Formats: sequence, structure tokens, C-alpha cells
Amino acid sequence: MKIRSSLLVVASATLLFSGSQSFPPIARGQEPATFQPPSDSEIPSGPFGDLVRKGEHIFTQTGVYARPYVGNDLTCESCHLDRGRKPYAAPLWGAYVSYPRFRTKNNKVSRLGERIQGCFRFSMNGTPPPLDSETIRSLVAYSFWMSRGAPVGVKLAGQGMYRMPRPKRQPDPFRGKKVYAARCALCHGADGLGATSGHDVAFPPVWGPRSYNMGAGLAKVSKLAGFVKMNMPLSKGDTLTNQESWDVAAYVDSQPRPADPRKIR
Amino acid sequence: MSFFRRSVLSGCLSVVFLSSTAHAGDLMNWGKKIAEEGNGSPGSIACMECHRLNGGGMPSIGSPRIAGQTAFYIEHEILGVQKGTRYAPVMAGVVYNLSKNDIRAVALYYASVRTPKLPDVSPPDPALVALGKHIAQKGLWKKNVPACVLCHGPNGRGIPPHFPYIEGQNKGYLLRQLISFAFLKRKDDPQGLMRGIARHLTQRERKAVAEYFASLNPPATAGRGK
Ligand code: HEC
Ligand code: HEC
Ligand code: HEC
Ligand code: HEC
Repeated sequence: MKIRSSLLVVASATLLFSGSQSFPPIARGQEPATFQPPSDSEIPSGPFGDLVRKGEHIFTQTGVYARPYVGNDLTCESCHLDRGRKPYAAPLWGAYVSYPRFRTKNNKVSRLGERIQGCFRFSMNGTPPPLDSETIRSLVAYSFWMSRGAPVGVKLAGQGMYRMPRPKRQPDPFRGKKVYAARCALCHGADGLGATSGHDVAFPPVWGPRSYNMGAGLAKVSKLAGFVKMNMPLSKGDTLTNQESWDVAAYVDSQPRPADPRKIR
Repeated sequence: MSFFRRSVLSGCLSVVFLSSTAHAGDLMNWGKKIAEEGNGSPGSIACMECHRLNGGGMPSIGSPRIAGQTAFYIEHEILGVQKGTRYAPVMAGVVYNLSKNDIRAVALYYASVRTPKLPDVSPPDPALVALGKHIAQKGLWKKNVPACVLCHGPNGRGIPPHFPYIEGQNKGYLLRQLISFAFLKRKDDPQGLMRGIARHLTQRERKAVAEYFASLNPPATAGRGK
């Protein structure tokens, strides 16, 4: 009986939490000043256009078009939303113009192809395709095409992930768990394993064996907090407070996921 | 006030039925009975008058197809109609006298039935279908609208249990729901997700997605193939 009634309290608390009134019905729109990538109809015909289209296919259906290199249930688009166009979700138009670049992750100057290899290895928990493979070449072509007209060598609004201001309070997984239950579990599941529609992955896992590994960018609480702040819940970006974003990121990144491949010997 | 009396009455009735419908099979049979004849309380209307016995709905009056939606979703919607969070001018007059047990039973029944698509009121408009397909599969991110299929599954076949299928639903119903989300009348969507999305669309865009999803064949059951 006791268990029952406390369950009931939890249930009605989440109901209250997820009730409509407590959230503004519309998320604030994206900043108008961000770079506008070219539209689909502007992909040229010919071998270059073919490579660009191939890149887009790999990007949105990575497990189908780059199968040997993928080790989890994600696609590139799972994190780089709107087919790599969305500001503050590390858009490809912002990427192309900022490489080669010095990276502290491995203390060397990386080319864009090498950066993409990194996402295969860590975010996709897979194997990096060779730099001269068609997989990398098409993804680079896709990114190049999308950056057409973007100024080089200046910081663009919306490039990379959103950089979070320091939290007022130390990020706390226990508070984060409540945020997760109210705002994330609907889609990613209380167990973090995502959801399927028939045989297809519908909502991607945010932890567990089929999610990004411990070496990935999002495995850093600050990066994940910035991603969540601007992009999650889907279509409701910028509705969590900074503190809620930090807390929920701390919670998600405290959950089990595949190890960092650099640390397995 | 007679409403109050009636709901008390149906409350008592449902206690009786609860004790007599202990098994899932009985519950399913009771659900079928409600679909066929109503729950027996004064003024009760059979669901099949508008949704047909096999749940195909009635495109001519914009009554939705409900066959194969999840029991969870069907129950959630009827409870929403009773509470007033789900705007449903027609249904409100039908389900007020259903008990919790009646709702569970009829939800179980309609989740289990299968039926082919019924002809819609007009053939699909190709120009609208093309625009609708683009929005459905790619989104309108400039207005913060993700692709519909991200939340409704591939081609809109549903992501059980919270996200209903919209693939193959009739166009009149689809459009009316989008309008009632947009103008904040239907407010039973978790976190206001659909209200935000429907509000960002123009009337032409709402029509276009309704035409597109109505032009497809419905899944046999939410989240599965045909
Ligand atoms: C689990 C989430 C995730 C997935 C999946 C993912 N990435 Fe990334 N990606 C990131 C993060 C985080 C960054 C770092 C952004 C930053 O530092 O601001 C990043 C950075 C990048 C960059 C450089 C962007 C920049 O502005 O510096 C490129 C290019 C890129 N990813 C391509 C890909 C490709 C191609 C795939 C698919 C093979 C992919 N990513 C899959 C999370 C992901
Ligand atoms: C309405 C459904 C929905 C809700 C609610 C939601 N997400 Fe997501 N999330 C998605 C979808 C869909 C994607 C993949 C987007 C794509 O493929 O285009 C995603 C992607 C992600 C990713 C990157 C991919 C991965 O699986 O690692 C993370 C991390 C994430 N969400 C975290 C969260 C957090 C934290 C919350 C709560 C604050 C949340 N999401 C709420 C639907 C949702
Ligand atoms: C008089 C016609 C009519 C009758 C009888 C009727 N319905 Fe409905 N139903 C509708 C209409 C019309 C809608 C759309 C909402 C509205 O306009 O009220 C609807 C909506 C629904 C929905 C929501 C579907 C969705 O996809 O969200 C469910 C579930 C439902 N009805 C179940 C039932 C059940 C169960 C019964 C029997 C107890 C029933 N209906 C009886 C006309 C009817
Ligand atoms: C962020 C997630 C999300 C996205 C994206 C989304 N929906 Fe929905 N939609 C929902 C949820 C959740 C419900 C169920 C609401 C409820 O429980 O009553 C829903 C319900 C609906 C319904 C009512 C279905 C019924 O049977 O009554 C329609 C119609 C609909 N959505 C159309 C669309 C269209 C068209 C798009 C694309 C323009 C879209 N949705 C995009 C989350 C979403």
C-alpha cells in the first residue's frame, strides 16, 4: 500500500511537471543573424553534386551508407541536427571554414577529414574510415558545399556547440535525474536506451552500449550541457534554464556507456 | 446536475463490471461490446456509429481511424476528453459516462483490431503532397519545426506508446487536429510539443502535411509495417 501511494505521488508530480502551463508553448526561435546555408535545390549536377548527395546520405543514414565504420545506433544527424545545418549543433557550414585547426585533444593541427574521423571513433563508437576513402571525401564535400559563401577565419554565430556560462551551483546528477524524468524520458526512455519504431531506431539512446563512448565530445558535461541547452527537448531548445541543462548533462554523463577506445589496451 | 448523477451512477456500474471482468479476455469482450452497443448507461452511444467496428473511422465526417493505435494512447485521449484537456467537441458528448474500466476495455479492443484504409473525401492534391512530404521528412527548421517523422516514426507510422501513428489517417481529421493544436484548444500533448509545432506552420503548410500523411497507407498497428 505504501509503495503504491508513493508511486502515485511520483506519478502525479511528473504530471504536474510535464503539465502544459509550466512551459512556454513556443521555444524562442534561432538567432536571425546566423549563416544561411544553400538550399537542397542548389546542389549542382555532375560528379561534385553526386559526392555532395552521397555525403548527405551518409550523414543522415550513417548506419546504412557507412555501415563498416559505425558501432552504435546514432547517425551524424543525431547530434548535428537538421542534416548538419542547425546553429549551435556544430553545423557543417561552420566546420568547413574553421579547419585546419589546432586541437588540444591530440596536440596537433587537424584537417577536417581527421576531425570527422574523430566523430566516427568516439561519437559513433566505431572505426575511423581512411582519410582518402569515399566516405570521408563525400562528407568533406558535403561540408564544403554547405559552407558556400561563409566568411573564412572569423568566428560565426552558431558555430560549434553552445558554450555554457559557468553554473551557479555545482552540476548535480541528482537534480539532473528529476529534469531527465520530466523533460527527456518521454523520448529517450527512463532507461536512456531510446525508442524504436518497428525495427528502426526512432529516438537515439543517450547512454548504454549503443550510445556515444566516454571519449566523445558529449561525454564532457560542459559540451553536453551546451548541446542540450540549445537543442533539447527536440523543438523546445532554449526552454531549460542553464542550471537545469548543467544538471541533466551531469546526470546523463554519469550513466554507463562504452569505454574510451584510447584507454583500452 | 443530471451529469453528476449520471457519472455517480456509471461509477457504481463500473464497480460491478470491474468485479465481473477480472480477466483480460473478459475486458477485451467488454470493450468490443462498448464499441458495438455502448456501455448500457442511459444515453450511451456505440463507438462504431462513428469509428466503425473495426476502427477505420469515417473520413466523410472527419472521424479518425483508431484501429491499431496503442491502448495507452487511446486511453490517454479519452481521459483527456473527459478532463477537458483534449478538445473534442463531438467525442465530449459521447465518452463522459465511461468509467475508467470501460475506457481501458474499449482501448484494448481498438488497439487489437485491424482494418484497411477507407477512401478519403477527395484525391490527394499533388502540389500540397510535395510540400507536405518535404516538411514531414526534413522539417522547417528555420521556424524550429523538426521533421514530423522524428517524433511520429518513419513515414508517420508511430513510436509506441506516446507518439500516435498519423500515416494514412484521414485528411479532414488531421487538419482539424493541427488547427486545434495551433490555436491551443487541444492541450493534452506532453510538454506542449505539438502546440509549438502546429503554431509555427502556416495554414497552407498544415494543409500540406495533412494531405501528405493522408495520401499514405496506414500501418497495421502503431510502430509496425503494413
Ligand atoms: C554523439 C554526438 C555526435 C555524433 C553522433 C557525431 N558528432 Fe560530430 N561532433 C560532436 C561534437 C560534440 C562536436 C564538437 C563540437 C564543438 O567542439 O563545439 C562535433 C564536431 C564535429 C565536427 C567539427 C565541427 C566544428 O565546428 O568544429 C564535424 C565536421 C563533425 N563533428 C562531423 C560529424 C560526422 C560526419 C558525424 C557522423 C559520422 C558526426 N560528427 C557524428 C558530436 C557528434
Ligand atoms: C520529443 C522527443 C525528445 C525529447 C523530449 C528529448 N529528445 Fe533528445 N533527441 C530527440 C531526437 C529525435 C534526437 C535525434 C535528432 C535527429 O536524429 O535528428 C535527439 C538527440 C539527442 C542527443 C544526441 C544523440 C544521442 O542519443 O546521444 C542527446 C544527447 C539528447 N537528445 C539528449 C536529450 C536530453 C538531455 C533531453 C531532455 C532535456 C532530451 N534529449 C529530450 C528527441 C527528444
Ligand atoms: C458521434 C460520433 C462519435 C462516436 C459515437 C465516438 N466517437 Fe470517437 N471521435 C469522434 C470524432 C469526431 C473524433 C475527433 C475529435 C472530435 O472532433 O470530437 C473522435 C476522436 C476519438 C479518439 C481520438 C483519436 C486520436 O487519434 O487521437 C478516440 C481514441 C476515440 N474517438 C474513441 C472513441 C470510442 C472508444 C468511442 C466509443 C466509446 C467513440 N470514440 C465514439 C467521433 C465519435
Ligand atoms: C517533437 C515531437 C513531435 C514532432 C516533431 C511532431 N509531433 Fe505530432 N505529436 C507529438 C505528440 C507527443 C503527439 C500526441 C499528443 C497527445 O498525446 O495527445 C502528437 C500528435 C499529433 C497529431 C494528432 C494525432 C491524432 O491521432 O490525434 C497530429 C495530426 C500530429 N501530431 C501531426 C504532426 C505533424 C504533421 C508534424 C510535422 C509538421 C508533427 N506532428 C511533428 C509530437 C510531435
